Amino acid sequence: MLAIETVELTKAFGDFVAVNGINLKVKAGENFGLLGPNGAGKTTTIRMIAGLIKPSRGSVRVFGIDVTRERREALKLIGYMPQKFSLYEDLTVEENVILYARLFGLSRAEAKERARELLKRFLLWEFRNRLAGKLSGGMKQRLALSVSLVHDPRLLMLDEPTAGVDPPLRRKFWEFFRELNKEGKTILITTHYMDEAENCNRLALMSRGRIIAEGTPREIKRRAIGGDLVEIIAEGHVRLRAEWVKSVEKRDGRFLALVDDAAVRIPQIIRELEGQGVKVISVAPMFVSLEEAFIRFLGD
Amino acid sequence: MQPVIQEGVKRGFRIIPIVEKEVKQLIRDPKTVLMVLAMPVLITIMFGYGYGGKEVGQFPITVVNLDHGEGSYKFIDDLKNSRMFKIEAIYNTRGEGFASVYRGEVYSSVVIPPTFTEDLMMGRVTRIEVIYDASNPQMAKIIMQAVGVVTQLYQEWAAERFGTFAIKPVFYTVYGPSVSKVENFMPGVMAMILQMVPTSLISVSVCRERERGTFEQFIMTPITVFDVIMGKLVAYFGATISDAALTLVTAMLLFDVRLRGSFFDMVVVSTVFLLTSLSMGLFISVFSKNQLQAYQASIFSFILATLFSGFLYPVDVLSPFAQTVAGLIPMYYFIEAFRAVSLKGWTLDMVTYELAVMMLFTVAFLAMAMKFLKLEVG
Ligand SMILES: Nc1ncnc2c1ncn2[C@@H]1O[C@H](COP(=O)(O)OP(=O)(O)OP(=O)(O)O)[C@@H](O)[C@H]1O
Ligand SMILES: [Mg+2]
Repeated sequence: MLAIETVELTKAFGDFVAVNGINLKVKAGENFGLLGPNGAGKTTTIRMIAGLIKPSRGSVRVFGIDVTRERREALKLIGYMPQKFSLYEDLTVEENVILYARLFGLSRAEAKERARELLKRFLLWEFRNRLAGKLSGGMKQRLALSVSLVHDPRLLMLDEPTAGVDPPLRRKFWEFFRELNKEGKTILITTHYMDEAENCNRLALMSRGRIIAEGTPREIKRRAIGGDLVEIIAEGHVRLRAEWVKSVEKRDGRFLALVDDAAVRIPQIIRELEGQGVKVISVAPMFVSLEEAFIRFLGD
Repeated sequence: MQPVIQEGVKRGFRIIPIVEKEVKQLIRDPKTVLMVLAMPVLITIMFGYGYGGKEVGQFPITVVNLDHGEGSYKFIDDLKNSRMFKIEAIYNTRGEGFASVYRGEVYSSVVIPPTFTEDLMMGRVTRIEVIYDASNPQMAKIIMQAVGVVTQLYQEWAAERFGTFAIKPVFYTVYGPSVSKVENFMPGVMAMILQMVPTSLISVSVCRERERGTFEQFIMTPITVFDVIMGKLVAYFGATISDAALTLVTAMLLFDVRLRGSFFDMVVVSTVFLLTSLSMGLFISVFSKNQLQAYQASIFSFILATLFSGFLYPVDVLSPFAQTVAGLIPMYYFIEAFRAVSLKGWTLDMVTYELAVMMLFTVAFLAMAMKFLKLEVG
């Protein structure tokens, strides 16, 4: 079943089209990354999926429920953490969580219990009596994550949850996300940190309101540079002539071969070079960062 | 977890947590607390001193001279010279004197009957009529005594000149709107506090959530427009009802304001108007883009109300156009109803029209607020 399915989703603010005919399919249980430069339309897309903004055109379904028509039903399934901290700064950490639990219909006692559970899980229990406005950036993000989970939603949409969070805590966040995925929750996440995006099952790259690339991180990189890069260190000159080799270039005493699929071709490369009598020291897939891939995509 | 929540959503009574949240936010904001608690006391004190609280020394009275004889002029001089009275006006008809007390301009009107001088000269028994405002029993007693003293002295003087006779003071009671100016201003002061504080407070409540961004998370819960509006209304009502009580109590304690109506009736009238003010504030909030706009709209509506509601000038003396405008202003109905209940001692069943109109305003404001509040961002 699809956790999210958008069809030709479009949002125009006046003349300006912020999101332009997006068709997204996020499978249940996935960790799906929505990436793109500032102003690409990520937040607008998420808000439309959350039913916070009415689409100008197109439709959104969350687990089969039409968000525009049956918003209140859909809300039970959606947990949402906005890009900007949106909780009550004049309420304490615990009061915020309890308030939201009760707005989802939990009794006072149930809400208190749920708050305890979440605050312990996200390491906020000892700060439960602190006003939310007095929290550090990382703590605010953890509180927002707790609140987005009060009603145990099946889909979690996180808009830049790790913005302004220090590296150790970012790692911790991704551990949380993996756990949540394991519990069967679907996650839609946006981030500007490409190293984080590597952890997603699938990604969509947005630019100027459109999706310009979609797939697993590997697929995206492959598409960005036209294949996989294989690094070859050998004594002698490397010459590869096969239709699956797109190019070979020499750089800093190494050779970089661009091939269609590194996993399949590496043994073939070794066989080929040894057949030519070249002494092969190492042949390994070269790591291409997502950042590199995206800059290439956005470049043209 | 899931089953509990599903059931809970059906249970769906979400107004209580919203009310609790709003109240917590209100009492944690020192500016709000100050506005709610200090404003009524300050304004009442300002009016109390500004418009002369308890008058000591001279009692303002009017005199009706129906006699125009030598005896009457001497009597008026004696009243003046006694230094106990300040004669505001001398009329030629009993009706005018009566009206001056009835309207609350003076505590009392002293009527000198047509045959006064003649009676004196003939040595007949004559009388002085004293029309006094019985709404203020203490003041009435003092005036009766003072008139008695002057009459006594006058009698001694007259006896020397005209021989034996007697002047009998006759007292008539009138229920005017109280005489003290502060009391007269109480409906206005109440109206001012019950509109200014609640309307401006609640008018920022919705747009503040939009401005701060808290709305974005708030509306990701299955709350309805009704929950949001009613939750805020109930919370702010609880917080501002104290304003009505504070104003009344301050006026009574500091300025000895005696209101004739039952305390319960005054509270009912105030409560009905308070709900109207809050609903108007919610209406403003739904339409305002930001807090500044909301404040400006509340202030504008307040100025409009003070100009046309009879707060500054009685509506009767305004132009027909202004009178029509007054009819569209909730505060006008409050001032009418509160004046009737507090000063004239009317009961609630005598102001049902005003109460009904205020409730109609409330329902209309709330309905529009709910209709136009969109659970969306951007
Ligand atoms: N309410 C609005 N009215 C007008 N324009 C808007 C509105 N909301 C967003 N936009 C515009 O739409 C575009 C997309 O904005 P959006 O916030 O979706 O981008 P984003 O991908 O989330 O960017 P970022 O990475 O900076 O968060 C931007 O150009 C933004 O200025
Ligand atoms: Mg964004």
